[in-house]
Amino acid sequence: MKPLEVETVDLDNGFRALLVERRTLPVVASVLWYRVGSRDERSGETGLSHFLEHMMFKGTDRFAKGEIDALTNRMGGSNNAFTDCDSTAYYFSLAADRWETALEIEASRMKGCLLDPAEFESEKKVVLEELAMGEDDPWRPLYQEAEAQLFQVHPYHHPVIGYRQDLERLTPDRMRAYYERNYGPNRAILVVVGAIDRERTRHRIEDLFGCIGQAEQRGPVLDEPEPRVARRSSLHTDYSVARLCVGFPTCRMGERDDYALDVLANALGMNKSSRLYKRLVLRDELVSDVSVINEPRFDPGGFFVLCELREGADPDEVERGVREEVEALAEEGVPAADARRIREQIRASFLFQDETALDQAMKLARFEALTSGGHRTLENVLPTYASLRNPELKRVAARYLDFRRAAVVWAHPRAEKAERRAKRASRRTRGGKPRRGKG
Amino acid sequence: MSRGHSNGLDLRIEERVLDSGLTLLAVQNPNVATFACAVSLDVRAGDEPRDKAGLVNLVGECLDEGTSGKSALELAEAAESIGGALEGNQRGGSIHCPAEHRKAGMELLFEIVSDPAFPAREVERVKGEIRVEIRIENEDPRTVARRRFSKEVYGRHPLGRPPQGTTESVARIRPRDLRQWHRAFFAPANGYVAAAGPEDPGRMLDLMSRIFGRLKGEAPSHGPIPAIPWPSRPRDVHVPMKREQVHVFVGHRGIRRTDPDYYALSVMDHVLGTGPGFTSRCARRLRDEQGLCYSVAAGITPSAGEEPGTFTAYIGTSPEHREAAIAGFLEEIDRIRETLAEPDEVEAVKDYLTGSFVFGLERNINLAAYAIRARRFDLGFDHVRRYPDLVRAVTAEQVREVARRHLVPSAMIRVSAGAS
Repeated sequence: MKPLEVETVDLDNGFRALLVERRTLPVVASVLWYRVGSRDERSGETGLSHFLEHMMFKGTDRFAKGEIDALTNRMGGSNNAFTDCDSTAYYFSLAADRWETALEIEASRMKGCLLDPAEFESEKKVVLEELAMGEDDPWRPLYQEAEAQLFQVHPYHHPVIGYRQDLERLTPDRMRAYYERNYGPNRAILVVVGAIDRERTRHRIEDLFGCIGQAEQRGPVLDEPEPRVARRSSLHTDYSVARLCVGFPTCRMGERDDYALDVLANALGMNKSSRLYKRLVLRDELVSDVSVINEPRFDPGGFFVLCELREGADPDEVERGVREEVEALAEEGVPAADARRIREQIRASFLFQDETALDQAMKLARFEALTSGGHRTLENVLPTYASLRNPELKRVAARYLDFRRAAVVWAHPRAEKAERRAKRASRRTRGGKPRRGKG
Repeated sequence: MSRGHSNGLDLRIEERVLDSGLTLLAVQNPNVATFACAVSLDVRAGDEPRDKAGLVNLVGECLDEGTSGKSALELAEAAESIGGALEGNQRGGSIHCPAEHRKAGMELLFEIVSDPAFPAREVERVKGEIRVEIRIENEDPRTVARRRFSKEVYGRHPLGRPPQGTTESVARIRPRDLRQWHRAFFAPANGYVAAAGPEDPGRMLDLMSRIFGRLKGEAPSHGPIPAIPWPSRPRDVHVPMKREQVHVFVGHRGIRRTDPDYYALSVMDHVLGTGPGFTSRCARRLRDEQGLCYSVAAGITPSAGEEPGTFTAYIGTSPEHREAAIAGFLEEIDRIRETLAEPDEVEAVKDYLTGSFVFGLERNINLAAYAIRARRFDLGFDHVRRYPDLVRAVTAEQVREVARRHLVPSAMIRVSAGAS
């Protein structure tokens, strides 16, 4: 894979822009990536980062409410945004002859968002509808519970969308304080990929962003202590399908162990030749689907195993299967033939991300924002995967994928829960009379 | 036979029709290091026997579960070893892989499309997985509402049936049914194979001919498809479910992709309820102004295919807003039928459609799909160049005219599922 030619523009106020000229099609993608996410929220203001992202489309000192979308529409492009625990990103895809309007919009949004109180109240209803929509997703509560168990003191404990009560109580003043504290050139990275004139782009960036005052530096948060006990939860659900989520605390994005965890995730359950797929889906026919996600973050993240059970499958047998395969992975590591296949898949996934200007811009922004080596990390990504040998993979699996530090979360259908309780009760009484009294 | 041309977007498409009746299409996507190939045969949902609902879907799901030469696992390992994503589907399948593995990728795709074994054990396992999928979908209010909406709109037409079938119908399907179906319908005549990647299209076609030229079989014969009835009066159905939101679908039968009003309707859709951000009337009113929802859309062209799609207005909202949301949709439908859209509104939509078209052509798999669409719907390879003119020619009067012709308030079916 040829290294990308990336030009870095650094301004005095801490703003950094990465420019890539790409002339496949006459289009330009721009991503403005803020180092602001739910990680930066204080007690009582969960969901504020995401809510603020919505408000960034509701009017600035230069662009009236609705004008950003109307302009984008008119220019034949698209725009959107997302928020996660570490970041908030705003992006545009536009034709090459008019893309610079995106820069003007982003410069205006950095400090000039109006946060009009009437718009705030109206948009709050939309955010609450989004929350309700998520509550109807059967995986959402499971995943949230796993995160809450894994991160007990770190802000990753809180859902990105926030808690309903916090959202209902949020005020425009509190949002303004958050915006002023966190949004500024020193907390943002701009990535532009496409058919651009680099010199002209550099000048526009200097003109538009050079005069914007800084935000506060990102504040420290409590480190998550090493878990001393395994954690287990069982959720009440109205769904008829049982689901399992096992989470393990891991490392930061871009650390060497993160690459090993990617390989281990592939070997464990990311494709059809993986351990869990072969055992639980193909051989034992206990689950209809299994997936494994290595989710590194700015602070140490998580590694998740997700299973959807088939009708009549014994949950204990599924959990035992997951446990045994994870332990076998730590014991045996990844055989050379499997490792070769996995490396090829990882390489392909990076190539696929280069098919569109927007995907390429996102990849650069993500590495710049979340890894200590910035976007240059990308140059070493494939050699790092290639350098991983089995003893190292075994060591990383043994260190992180240890059930003594895991969070195991089950969602059992109601009927099945009652059945399991009865089964346990019958096991207890089968050996003789139930004991009474003390002890 | 080989034909080709270059268009304004520097898109090179070449075509070769084989003696078997299979059409090969190659699109050059310079400066990418990846490759995609899609097979789309003349398979129609309408040919599926009513008592075996889900058969067509199951055939697609089981194509990569084993061939006469490889087990499911061996197929998976072969695809993974070239960094490929190999998938079977109802009409064939697709492969997406690094460009240097294009030959191996197409060989694998050919193998699952031409020679699936449908091993009994794997078929039974996949049936079990589909049963779980059906249970999950039966508990998802959005899917429940969408399925019921399709049933109400399409009646006995095959598109009124859930694509995976029902638990009972899937249980009735045997491996021999899959083999029979595959023999009868996975044939080259009237089918397409399209590939996109960095290579010269002529060379791509040579390689495709060598591989897919081996596809054999008699041309499939298709049975009649029942007509789609228009409802005699509006229908209102609610499926109560214990959920936070209610999902509402309002609409009726739609158009085929070949409908001459397609481009005017595409502009109408974007004025009314399709497109990015909150620029459409429905999004502006129901989300931006009234805060009723996170998700809202309305349109007739997105579902237009070989068979008529639907006009669908959709919203996911809290139960107390159900009636207000439906009233909002109906008022906006009336407005677009009765009042001329503002010139600015129509011009902005046309700017969006003509400008954004290029973004659909960035990915290899989209380019392959575009080439197939261009041929299947007789759009011509120069469609990419003509498209801006087709859209630019639409007037506000035409938008009102096609809205009057294709949106029928008296036939609107309302279906919802979820919280009451």
